[in-house]
Amino acid sequence: MRDVAIVAFAQAPLEQEPGQTETLMLLPTITEALTTVGLTRRDVGFTCSGSADYLTGGTFTFVQMLEAAGAWPPISESHVEMDGAWALYEAWVRLQHGDVDVALVFASGRATAGASLRETLTFQLDPYYLAPIGADYVSLAALQAQAVLEHTGRTEKDLAQIVAQRRRDAAGNPHAAVSGDVGVDELLRNDYVVAPLRTHDIGPAVDGAAAVVLVAGDRAREVCDRPAWIAGIDHRADPHYPGVRDLAQSRSTAVAGARAGVADGGVEVAELTAVCSPEEIVLAEALGLDDSVTINPSGGALVANPVMVTGLVRIGEAFRQVHDHGRRRVLGHASSGPCLQQNLVCVLEGRDA
Amino acid sequence: MWKLEFPYRRSVGPVIGAFLTGLRDRRVIGVRTAGGRVMVPPFEYDPETGEPASEMVDVASAGVVERAAWVPEPLRTHPLDRPFAWALVRLDGADTALLHAFDCGSADRATAGTRVRIRWRAETVGHLSDIECFEPEPA
Amino acid sequence: MTDPVQFMSHHTAVEYAVPEPSRLGVHFAEQLARARIIGHKCPQCGKVYVPPRGYCPLCVVETTAANEVEIADRGVITTFSVITPLQYQGQKETEDYVQATLLLDGSDTTLMVTGLEGIAIADVRTGLRVEAVWAPEGERGSVSTGIRGVGLGDAVKSWRPTGEPDVSRDALAEHIL
Repeated sequence: MRDVAIVAFAQAPLEQEPGQTETLMLLPTITEALTTVGLTRRDVGFTCSGSADYLTGGTFTFVQMLEAAGAWPPISESHVEMDGAWALYEAWVRLQHGDVDVALVFASGRATAGASLRETLTFQLDPYYLAPIGADYVSLAALQAQAVLEHTGRTEKDLAQIVAQRRRDAAGNPHAAVSGDVGVDELLRNDYVVAPLRTHDIGPAVDGAAAVVLVAGDRAREVCDRPAWIAGIDHRADPHYPGVRDLAQSRSTAVAGARAGVADGGVEVAELTAVCSPEEIVLAEALGLDDSVTINPSGGALVANPVMVTGLVRIGEAFRQVHDHGRRRVLGHASSGPCLQQNLVCVLEGRDA
Repeated sequence: MWKLEFPYRRSVGPVIGAFLTGLRDRRVIGVRTAGGRVMVPPFEYDPETGEPASEMVDVASAGVVERAAWVPEPLRTHPLDRPFAWALVRLDGADTALLHAFDCGSADRATAGTRVRIRWRAETVGHLSDIECFEPEPA
Repeated sequence: MTDPVQFMSHHTAVEYAVPEPSRLGVHFAEQLARARIIGHKCPQCGKVYVPPRGYCPLCVVETTAANEVEIADRGVITTFSVITPLQYQGQKETEDYVQATLLLDGSDTTLMVTGLEGIAIADVRTGLRVEAVWAPEGERGSVSTGIRGVGLGDAVKSWRPTGEPDVSRDALAEHIL
């Protein structure tokens, strides 16, 4: 396999001008990511992006967003109707071919455009058995939460403690929609949205955009002082329908983690896409993460959920742990579908020269 | 606000079609996998092995709640317009759970282990909503 | 009923907020209310975009108020289609009409416009010079919602031939769409 590294990561600011388009959120974000490593759009050999038209109700909207990547003269690009983490996977695969060295990955989404994100996301579900009864992602996450609490013996207070900790972790994160000190008892006084989940157990949906630059081989060392090498990357899916699997486990995460080589050296930090608090428990168990692992130092998806970007941001935050904080082995995780149906695990290594 | 509408009309095939036909007749039909597992609702393939599944079997209209989650404020797209619980119900004779609304009345009655039965809609057409919801099985 | 169920109906509906207009969109509409058409000229390649998008897609640089230029309210039809309206649910048109791309003097991008007046459909042609028939002051569309829909919204009611000589096709080769 060809060595590929993440060399740059940029995220659009949370505060945007009124009526800002996704294209204009992406343009400076992509420029920032490339400029950090002294590259321009002309240096990019392959571009891949992630987004979902359903968030804004526009057809093929990602085609317009390509203008932020610079699509003239014509570029080699691909798109996934998924979180940008899967666009990163595709870019990694493309770089394995050996003929191009630089890939640009980006993702965007305006999750606040729809009247109800819960209703909108229901359209990604089984059209015979789930969508017609309006089984939304929060309701499904609540069923998983019930399974997790029973399986592990944890309580709603434990969930609130996870939330409180993530908000504290997010204090220095300018991309967090919520952060700071909040008491567990105060959180528990709030009403359920769907039991046992309360509003704070669900990451707030926000608009967002992010970009990542991948470089293969020695070129990565030329442009970046401490590349985050992709030591392993894999994604797997569980069956879609929640009634055919044990919601307290995530077998697809366990398999993806094993294939990505999480256990071959362990990880110091794990950025996990847990949009609902009980998901952190399921994921940590599936990945075999013990107390020595720092989970979601950015605050994770519980402090901001830029739908379609969240997973890519987790991988970007994992990159920052290697590049900015000198970590040696970390992982970024992304998820898609009901009750952690599909999971992607990316193990990053910082290698001393 | 502006609204995007799609009037879908989907073909259902022999397996899902058999299930929906059963619902229209107020019967619940599942499918048995090669490994002997009865799936309700039925799928065309065994999710564990990928093997096609086509042996249709009758299961009961009553069963046990495996998982329940109370909804204090339903969305307009939910099956009921009053507080209810989502429930994963394993009907007698089935090895997987069916998701639907459970009209249990209060949060403390949304408990795993409760025996429930289907409350059928007055007019059935061959759709998942022929099941109006689950209700507690009388003792 | 004994026939097996073969189809399932699913009427789906998703609601979205009407997008807030951008600052640039509101500014463009404010200028139209004053019968002014503005564009942005890319500081790198010099191409002029009407309406202005806030960036040049060829150079991938942002454009700002510093790059604003004024555009004439006349130009040339680069290409067109004669639309025979299908009577689908919601269709408001009943008669054939022309949908044309219009290159305003000073612009490098075309506008899609409908509403040509003073000319028979059969006489519409590539190269035809037209000018704006502005709506009366105060009736030029809503500034707060920016421009929605085709062309310049409600600000320009229609376009009419100026009587000037046609522009040759060769001169329009780079600007058909």
